[in-house]
Amino acid sequence: MSEPAAGSSRLTVGLAQIDCRLGDLAANLDRHLAWIERAKAAGVDLLVFPELSLTGYRLLHLTTRVALPPQAPLLDRLAEAARPMAVVAGFVEESDRGLLHNSAVLLSGGPRRHIHRKLYLPTYGLFQEERFFRPGRRLDLAPLPWGRAGVLICEDLWHPELARRLAVAGARLLIVLSAGPGRVGSGDVPASHESWEMLCRTTALLDTCWVVYCNRVGWEEGSFYSGGSLVVRPGGEVATRAPFLDEHLLVTEIDLREADRVRWRLPLLADERIDIEGPDAEDRP
Amino acid sequence: MSRRVLDHLHLNAPLAVAVLTRFIRDAVETSGTTGVVVGLSGGIDSSLAAALAARALGPERVHGFLLPYRTSSADSEADARRVAAHLALPHRKIDISPMIDAYFAIETDADPARRGNKMARERMTILFDQAKKLGALVLGTSNKTEILLGYSTVFGDNASSLNPLGDLYKHQVWQLARHLELPAEVVAKRPSADLWPGQTDEGDLGFDYATADEVLWQLFDEGLTPDEVVERGYDRAVVERIVTFERQFRFKRRLMLIARLSGSAVNLDQEIPRD
Repeated sequence: MSEPAAGSSRLTVGLAQIDCRLGDLAANLDRHLAWIERAKAAGVDLLVFPELSLTGYRLLHLTTRVALPPQAPLLDRLAEAARPMAVVAGFVEESDRGLLHNSAVLLSGGPRRHIHRKLYLPTYGLFQEERFFRPGRRLDLAPLPWGRAGVLICEDLWHPELARRLAVAGARLLIVLSAGPGRVGSGDVPASHESWEMLCRTTALLDTCWVVYCNRVGWEEGSFYSGGSLVVRPGGEVATRAPFLDEHLLVTEIDLREADRVRWRLPLLADERIDIEGPDAEDRP
Repeated sequence: MSRRVLDHLHLNAPLAVAVLTRFIRDAVETSGTTGVVVGLSGGIDSSLAAALAARALGPERVHGFLLPYRTSSADSEADARRVAAHLALPHRKIDISPMIDAYFAIETDADPARRGNKMARERMTILFDQAKKLGALVLGTSNKTEILLGYSTVFGDNASSLNPLGDLYKHQVWQLARHLELPAEVVAKRPSADLWPGQTDEGDLGFDYATADEVLWQLFDEGLTPDEVVERGYDRAVVERIVTFERQFRFKRRLMLIARLSGSAVNLDQEIPRD
C-alpha cells in the first residue's frame, strides 16, 4: 500500500457489508479489525462500515451502555489498525455535553476526526431512534486526501437537501452508512432495497456525485438487514453491487474526476438557484 | 381471492426461503444450541416450518415429534410421518393420552375447548422438555393470520423460541409449501387443529382463510378502516367478526420472536398495547 499521490483523485473504495453483535463493542471491534485486514489485502484506500457498526443497531435501552466519546481509545485502535487506509465506522457517540448521537467517524490517519451526527432520526414504524438519540445539528464536508466528501447516515439520504448541500459545497463523493431493515415482497430483490437503489441512483444523478452505500446484514430481534450495498457513478449508473443477505467486501476503484466530467456536461449544481422565492411559510401545511 | 390483494401477498419464494433459513440458522448459532425441535401435526404450518429448518440446519438437526391424543385423526399421523420421511428428519412419537386422561379423570366437566387447550399445552411442555434434553430450540409454527385472529392456545401451540412463519399470511404459507414441494396430501388438505374429530379451522372461525387473509391485509398492510373494507364488497358480518377476534385476542401475541418480512410485522412495526 502506498500513500495516495498528492492531487490524485483515484481511490479504491471498500464497503464492508458486515453483521454486528448487538451491544457487544469488543466483539464488533474484533470483527472490524478482521475486515480491515481483508480490505488491506484487497488494496482498499477507503473502507466503509455500516451504520452503528461498532454497536449494532436496535439497541433500545442498551444505547447508553455502549456510548463512546470521540476520543475513545477504541477508536484509536481502529485508526491505527487501518493506517494507511481511511476508515468510516458507525458508533454511539457521547458528546462532551453528555448527549447521545447516532454518529459516523471518519478516521484518516491524522489526529483530526471527522464526525457526522445523524441529522434525521426515524421514529415511526419499527424505528425508535428519537427515544434514545439526539439529532445532529451540523453538516460538514469530510476532508479526504482524494477530495471532498460527505458522510450521511441512512435516513439522512431520504431528505435530499442534505446530499444537495454537500454536493453544492464541493463533495464529489457521498458516503452513506446504513442499517436498513429488509422486507420481502414479490420482486426480484428485497422490497426494501428497491427504494434504496432508487434513492442512491437518484442522488447520484441529481447531485452528480459518487454515492457509496454500505448496508449491513444479519438479524436483530426478528428483523433482518438486507445488504445489497452499492457503488453508484456520478449520473446514476450502478458501478458495483454486493449480494443480498450475506457478509461481503465490495471493492471498487473510483475516480472523483468523473464527477467533474459529468458536471461539465450536466451543470445541475452550477445552475442551482437559492434565490427563488416562495411558497411562503404560511402556505405550507 | 381478489387479484389485487393476491398480487400484494405473492412472495418472491426463493428470496423468502433464503431469508427465513438464515433466520433459523442465526437463532440457533447465536444461542449456542444444537438445532430445533418441532411438533409435527401433519398440517401445512408445522410441515413448512420443519422444511425451512431442515434447509437451514440440515435434517439431522431438526427433531420432529408426533404428539397424538387417542382421538387424533389417523390421517394426521400418517401425514406427519410422510413429512418426516420426505424431509429425512429424525422423529419420534409420544402419545399424550395418558397425561391428558389422567388430568381429565379429575376434571370431568371440561368442555372441548378446555380439553383442546390442555392438549396444546401438553404438547408444548413435551417440546420444551425435549428441547432441553437435546440442547435445542422449540421451533414455532404459528402463521400471521392465526396470530392476528388469536386462533391459537396461548402458551400452547403459540409458544416457541423462534418462529419463522409469524409474518406469513396463510396464503403465503401455502405458497412457500408448494415452492418447497412438500407432499401434495399435506398441501391440499383442509387445515385443522385436530383437537376433536371433524374439527376444521374454517369451521371454527366462520370464514375461510382466503377471506381472512384478504381482509386482514387490507386492514393491517393497506390501512383501510373496516367500513372501507366492507365497501369493497366483503360481508359486513365477516369483517366485524375478524375485527372482533383481532381485538379480543391481542393478549396472546407478546412472547414471540418473529421473522420480519413485510412492513407490517406484528410487535415490531405495530407495537399495539394489549388493552
